[in-house]
Formats: sequence, structure tokens, C-alpha cells
Amino acid sequence: MTLRTAGMALAVSLLALAGPASAQTMLTSDQIAQSLQNVTSDAPVISAAVLQAMALQHMKQFPGESGVTQPLPVKLDSLAQINIQIQFQLNSAIIKPESYAAVGSMADAIHNPILGGYKFLVVGNTDTTGNRADNMKLSQARADAIVEALTTTFNVDPRRLEAVGLGEESLLDTANPKDPINRRVQLINVGKFLPTP
Amino acid sequence: MKFKFMAIGAALLMSAGSIAASAQTLSYSDAGAMLAKSCGPDIQKFCSTVNLGNDQLRQCLLQHESQINPQCVTDYKVAVASIAKRVAAQNSIEKVCANDAANRCQGMVPGDGHLLSCLVTAARVVSKKCNQVITDAGYR
Repeated sequence: MTLRTAGMALAVSLLALAGPASAQTMLTSDQIAQSLQNVTSDAPVISAAVLQAMALQHMKQFPGESGVTQPLPVKLDSLAQINIQIQFQLNSAIIKPESYAAVGSMADAIHNPILGGYKFLVVGNTDTTGNRADNMKLSQARADAIVEALTTTFNVDPRRLEAVGLGEESLLDTANPKDPINRRVQLINVGKFLPTP
Repeated sequence: MKFKFMAIGAALLMSAGSIAASAQTLSYSDAGAMLAKSCGPDIQKFCSTVNLGNDQLRQCLLQHESQINPQCVTDYKVAVASIAKRVAAQNSIEKVCANDAANRCQGMVPGDGHLLSCLVTAARVVSKKCNQVITDAGYR
């Protein structure tokens, strides 16, 4: 019995290999798992707390509402990751049903044995539409909602996931800060998670 | 039949006549797509203020059980049962395939995917039981 529908295919852009300018590509959860496997030895060590502190510092250092093009002082691009578009209700952290399959494929990838034992950051990003501080709050709530769905409905071990919202501080397309392409969830592999025996 | 959801992955004993023994199990992505298709309109109508995680959606749909589309009820059960089966298979591979692993994939350890790729590659000489559990686990 195969209950696949055309709508469940996922549009993700593969950042780990091609960089932020890459075109949107259709990837299966197997491909997601494969691309998340490419952990390089020179990748920075990162945690949700460190990343969030950087984003808050970024807001202080470059104030204003016009959209900041300076990147965060961390090479997130060098970490194995994928970008996923998840549809939420307007100004809310409620995941729309049309994106259940996308969240499910994140879960399938994390459950894939080739990624067994790895830990991930779920990073929420907005575009520059709306108030900057509100965007920060909303992106955190949305990242939290995805982690909640993954760790409850989709059975992911909560010790393997951390949520962090970066608001509009880490734009994907700095030339077009209002472009919806900037609204995205990053699933970033942050290295081995070793469970206590 | 009383309409009763179960937490995904929680119960293994749920009888689901609609799922044939040898059928491929649903991935989380497939299950999410199916839920969106069959229950999406009802979710938007009755449960637009609750989120997918933490049992909130299930509880909300339960509360509106009498009002929602029967296809949603049916498909929700199919998804839950299929995923439970997949999770059970994933958890039992090590045990079910222990002999095959020892005979066909010597020196490999579980946990990093190499042992599983070996068993998948060796499908022709791997026991029927082990092949079935790998299929049910969605690892093929």
C-alpha cells in the first residue's frame, strides 16, 4: 500500500553543498539524511544558546528596522544542513496542515540510521517584513513548535534537538530582505550526541 | 467502532485490518501528507488554534469527533497503526537480524547505518524475517 501523494514531496534547498544561492530542489527524506551527513572537520562548534546570544548581540550592534545585511559572526554555511519551508498561520506558531509532510520528512531524516547519534539545531528565520523584535520572538516560537512536533508526534529523542529563533538576523537573501525565501527553517547537524549508557 | 486516536508510535497492538502484513509502512512524511489531505479542512475548521505536537491536535479532533469527515478518522487510524508498525520494526531489527548480521556482515556494529546497508545489500541471502523487518522499518 503506497499512500504517496504529489503534495508530500518536499521543496528544500541544499545548503550544505551548494551554498545559499542554490535553487530550490525537490529532495526525499533519504536525500535530506544524506546531505545532513556531510559534517566537515572544520565546522564551528555551535549550540542554541551561543547562536541566540549572537543574534541578540547582532540586534544591538546593528540597530534599525531596515534589514541588516551583515551576517552573524559564525559560518553556519559550513555546517551540514538543509533549509525547509514550513507554512505557519499568519503571525502564529501554528503549523499549517500542508506542512505536516515537510515536518514528517525532517523526522524521517533524523530517524534515518545514517544519522543515528547526531544532534540537530532547528533554527527559525523570518524575512524583514514586520517588527524586528517581534520577528525574533515569532521565529523562536515557530522553532519551538517544530521541535515540539518532532519530539512528541514524531518520536524524536528530545535530547537530540534544540530550537532557536534568529528572527531576521540571518537572512538568506540579503539583497532581497523582504523576500519570503528568507522565511525558512534550518535543520543543522551539530555533531555527535552520545547517550549515557 | 468507537473513534479513538492513539499517540503515534505508542501502541503496537492496535488492530488495523486495512494494513496488509507485507505492505510497506508509511513514513512520517507520508503520514503527515495523508493527515493533511484527509483532515486538513477539518483541522482548519475546528482545530486551527492548536498545534501538531504534544497531542494537542489529536485531542482537538477527538473533541469534534462527531463533526469531522469520516475519511479523516479512517486515515488517521491507518497512519497511526502504520507508523506504530514501522517504529516496532525499527526497534526490533537488531534482534530479528542478529543471525544474518553475524553470518553476512561480520565485524560491523549497529548504530551508524553500515550494518544496515550491508543487510540491505545482502537481501538475496538474508533471511525472510530479517528482510521483512527491514522493509517494515522503511529502511530499504
